[in-house]
Amino acid sequence: MRDPWSDVLVTSFREVMDRLSHAAPRLLAVLTLIAVGWAVAAVARRLVVRICRVLNADARSARWGLTAGLARSGIQQPPSLLVGRLTFWTILFVTLLMAIEALEMPATSGLVAVVVRFLPNLVIAGLVWMVGWLLANFMAQAVLIAAVNAQVALAPLIAGAVRWLVLVFAGAAALTQLGIAREMVLLTFGIAFAGTVLALALAFGLGGKDLAREILESRIRKRDGDDDHLTHV
Amino acid sequence: MTEPIGAAHLLNDGDLHTVDSLGPVEVLVGVCALNQARSAVRVVEAAAAGLAAPLADRKCGIVVVEAGFRDETVDAVTRWVASRVPGPPVCCVRIAGPPSRSRAIIGALTVAHRLGPAVCALVDAGLVSLTPEGLGRLVQPILAGEADCVSPAYTHTAAEGTLTTNLLAPMCRALYGRRIQQLLGGCAALSGQVVTRLLETEARDSDLTGHGLEIRLAIDAITSGNRIVEVHQGRKALDAGLAPPDLATTIAHTVGPFFHLMDRYRAAWSESGASTSVPRIGDPPTILPETGEVHLDRMVRAFKLGLKDLLPVWEQALQEETLASLYPLGLLFPDEFIFPAEHWARVAFDFAVAYHEQRLPRDHLLRALTPLYLGRVAAFLRETQAGTSARFPAVLEGVGRAFEVEKAGLAARWR
Repeated sequence: MRDPWSDVLVTSFREVMDRLSHAAPRLLAVLTLIAVGWAVAAVARRLVVRICRVLNADARSARWGLTAGLARSGIQQPPSLLVGRLTFWTILFVTLLMAIEALEMPATSGLVAVVVRFLPNLVIAGLVWMVGWLLANFMAQAVLIAAVNAQVALAPLIAGAVRWLVLVFAGAAALTQLGIAREMVLLTFGIAFAGTVLALALAFGLGGKDLAREILESRIRKRDGDDDHLTHV
Repeated sequence: MTEPIGAAHLLNDGDLHTVDSLGPVEVLVGVCALNQARSAVRVVEAAAAGLAAPLADRKCGIVVVEAGFRDETVDAVTRWVASRVPGPPVCCVRIAGPPSRSRAIIGALTVAHRLGPAVCALVDAGLVSLTPEGLGRLVQPILAGEADCVSPAYTHTAAEGTLTTNLLAPMCRALYGRRIQQLLGGCAALSGQVVTRLLETEARDSDLTGHGLEIRLAIDAITSGNRIVEVHQGRKALDAGLAPPDLATTIAHTVGPFFHLMDRYRAAWSESGASTSVPRIGDPPTILPETGEVHLDRMVRAFKLGLKDLLPVWEQALQEETLASLYPLGLLFPDEFIFPAEHWARVAFDFAVAYHEQRLPRDHLLRALTPLYLGRVAAFLRETQAGTSARFPAVLEGVGRAFEVEKAGLAARWR
């Protein structure tokens, strides 16, 4: 007859080993998934970067103002590398989700379903933000050039205002798509937009008399310029 | 060889019938209009008088091609035709599609191809300075077999045609090796063979906008080895029509197509050597002293404002050393302002490369050139005002040479 102390020891050891033997394949599967996912993500990153380079994506991005916009945001890397990185982390993220699901832990059950349900909104919101960001840069540049050509002294300020206006609008649209505090976003955006317009109107009317005069004068001067015996073509 | 664009592609059946009613002609004048009712009648009248007297023994015709969106031009010319004394037949046609000067010219060329004249003169409906004698001088060299293409040369002041004298003409000289005075002269005459070849090589959905086709006519005449001559046409006066474009738009519509054509004619400009002058028939054009006031301080201010605010845009278009050469200019007062031709030529070629590489949206890029151009014009006018008008040709020669020097190495940068 064995003593109780030994029985407890053996039983707990057996239980631990039993549980470990159940969990080990899952852990192994998780590690394998992460390793394979990492490898696939790394290969995909290289492949995507190469495809981008073959398609001359960096030059096209520069043409569309994407590179300049990224540089303004402090991102100096070429867009092809960024797309490669995005691919890498997307694949790794999906792999991690699979790994978490493979663990079959009670705390993580349903997590994947929630994430997958949320993913389309996230993608659309990302796209909305990206298009808004591109549009903001494009419009800001167009306004800047037009204002400088009209000899308006505060051209960068006007261009900056246009950029932020479009960015705020795109941000509000993206947050609404994500469903994050939708009412609050709409209300905040409405108040902020109306407030900005009112502030600009007041500032321009009261404080910006000189600027208004300058703009009008520059337009009138331009007409004069047409009459000052200078023809271009 | 592709099938040429036909009049049937551009004109409706009614207009085709009208064109055919002119019958085969020896000399055809195509008046190209873009909502220019105000001046079209005057131009048609001068053209009709030019065809009536010295060319009375030849079968001539005039076709007015309106590529704008309004009917006034056609209505005005039709009214004038109904009330005039008999003369060469005149017909009016409209080109459907987006309003474009290039489409009006394509329309006139297709009509010429259909009627098969020996000479086709193309005249801008706004060229109110056209005289009957001027039209005669334009078509005579081709009728006499002395040329395939005739380009106008004008008497002008330093402040007239500054975009041509400071950019288009010197760049054309450097790239294509011919010293032509006008790329956008408002009129030209082409032989029947040249018309056919142009239509064969121009795509039906031509991507040439603005003044693209006018510039192409000149470049094609230079690069194809045609016999090209210049004839003096007096002083140029152009009525721009309904809404004259602002300077930035003018640059976009002229410099843009010029840069665009650099891709198409790359083989020609990368092989061309030293430039030669274009033969002139008749009196040489003269340079007139400046009579009107030109506000140089405004142009210098525009340049300085650009240097201050457009730097992020220029950084994408210009090379570092080109940009560095501009900084000291921002410190100069208007009465001491200089913008050396060498720097300007470098700026122009940098912009051409940036346009080719599409580093920026092309319209933005071209419009961003405006303050630089105004700076250069201010410096150019200061330079020409410093001496007599006799100094003007020397200044122009300096600009041309600067562009020729800067052309070296362009082919290597043109990837």
